[in-house]
Amino acid sequence: MTVFVDLYTDADTFLHRLDPRVKIVAVVLLSLLALIIGNLVHLLVLLAFVLLLLALGRATLSKTVFALKFVFRIMVMIVVLWPIFDPSGTPVLAELGPVKITEPAIWKGVAMAVRVCCLATVWYILMFTTSQRDLVRGLVKLGLRFDFGLALAIALRFIPTFGVTVESITDAQRARGLELDKGAPLRRSKNYVAVLVPTIVSALRTADMLSLALQSRAYGARPDRTYLRDLKMRWTDALALAVVVTIFAIPAIAKYLLDASL
Amino acid sequence: MRALEFNDVSFTYKGSGSKALEGVSFAVNKGEFITLLGRNGSGKSTICLMSNGLIPHALPGALEGAVRIFGQEVRERSVAEFSKSVGIVFQEPESQLFCMSVEEEVAFGPENLAVPREEIGDRVEWALELVGMKGFNDRSPFSLSGGEKQRVAIAAALSMRPEMLVLDEPAYALDPVGRFELYSVLKELKQKHGMTVVLAERDPEEAVAFSDRLLLLEDGKIAGVGATRNVLRDPQKLSSLGIAPPQLSELAALLNSRLPGESFSFLSVEEAERTLSEDFFAQGRARRA
Ligand SMILES: Nc1ncnc2c1ncn2[C@@H]1O[C@H](COP(=O)(O)OP(=O)(O)OP(=O)(O)O)[C@@H](O)[C@H]1O
Ligand SMILES: [Mg+2]
Repeated sequence: MTVFVDLYTDADTFLHRLDPRVKIVAVVLLSLLALIIGNLVHLLVLLAFVLLLLALGRATLSKTVFALKFVFRIMVMIVVLWPIFDPSGTPVLAELGPVKITEPAIWKGVAMAVRVCCLATVWYILMFTTSQRDLVRGLVKLGLRFDFGLALAIALRFIPTFGVTVESITDAQRARGLELDKGAPLRRSKNYVAVLVPTIVSALRTADMLSLALQSRAYGARPDRTYLRDLKMRWTDALALAVVVTIFAIPAIAKYLLDASL
Repeated sequence: MRALEFNDVSFTYKGSGSKALEGVSFAVNKGEFITLLGRNGSGKSTICLMSNGLIPHALPGALEGAVRIFGQEVRERSVAEFSKSVGIVFQEPESQLFCMSVEEEVAFGPENLAVPREEIGDRVEWALELVGMKGFNDRSPFSLSGGEKQRVAIAAALSMRPEMLVLDEPAYALDPVGRFELYSVLKELKQKHGMTVVLAERDPEEAVAFSDRLLLLEDGKIAGVGATRNVLRDPQKLSSLGIAPPQLSELAALLNSRLPGESFSFLSVEEAERTLSEDFFAQGRARRA
């Protein structure tokens, strides 16, 4: 049972080396940009840029497809459903009772799908070029409270442990004759209770132990905690940040200050 | 000043009907290596958890008597304060490592104590080297073997530069290789660094080779305490307390019962080999000659 796969792919590319703070800020800005832009051509330009980044981070095809499979399905759904539910604009291409298919609605649907693709890819790039450790470190350095960062790190760190627990409990219950893949859906989900309850008990036990371990290592002893590893902005990081801010600022200014339609 | 002092200590966990410890008194001197032995539920963990204040601060209950840790009464200081002088390692390797890399794990304690950055770096390297985990800095603790995890847990405690290390059945979940690696580290801590160590064990096989004293527990009470060699002279007593006597002390007892006048006692295979070849076989050869 695959509960979770860490998307991070170890490699030594420009994007991997980039300061996680810059990457987080860039991803947020590019996401906002994808939301600001409505024009299909502009969205395609943005998508091209995002795909360029994907290539720059040397994403492997199989992992990318795996991570974005779900997104592709949503995109198809948007393209198909948007024109059915949006009757605005002319020319009307087809009319079937209350359903009116118009040409602008088709293009809007495509644009929306491209937007979703941009958003998903941008976040995927962050996840596959940044280790969880750097991600949490970046968030804390950007102002996330240390205890929230620690909670996030612990959650990420324990996902695989949790997966192993679920697996061994499932095996143990199967060995006792529990049938998880047979029977009607309701019955099946009832059977899963036999896995769920021991899993929760085990998770609570682990949480208790963790709390003892944290306290024993002086957690929360001082407000002025130090950090062994600090993040340092290099000139390449600053440059990358400047580029992204510019890419964001030009369309944003055009739209909100100059009232251009994008 | 003693490292640890229990004076007529009794403890009942909150919500529990029976005493986990009853009238326990003992003391640990600085630089001493003491091993607590006892079967399931005899109170080993309770003593360990009391040695850095987790009982009664994190695990409440009715505590009677006095527990002093480097002279400080346990109720009067917080766990965070005791953590500067006492490091603790638990039984479960999985649930005491919570960072995403070995390095962060070992740095976590000193970071919380606001140790300057350069010094944390030095301490991390020192501690990882001591436990034989140098170069594992960027590995995820999850990806390590059980023995490696426990050694990282020891390094994470040592990096806080404690004066005393408490280990609660650290070898419990380990395979023979993991056990061997772990005990090598404990031996080195004792022999090279003179660390004060409190070790809880169900199986004394490996630990007797470097324990100064053994403390036997039964149902929350002390059933015996003394220098390792003296306690091991009576393997039957260990058996009656549900503790498997080390094979070497059974061998010594067997030899002593068959050979009137001999009083062998072996704490390590090397010692047994030396004594037997020098003393025993030499005599036999002399007799035959
Ligand atoms: N959190 C708790 N709440 C209530 N009772 C507890 C708790 N922890 C331990 N006890 C009880 O206290 C007694 C001593 O337990 P302790 O865990 O100290 O023994 P132990 O020697 O460490 O055993 P083991 O070898 O199983 O680890 C036992 O009777 C146990 O049931
Ligand atoms: Mg115990």
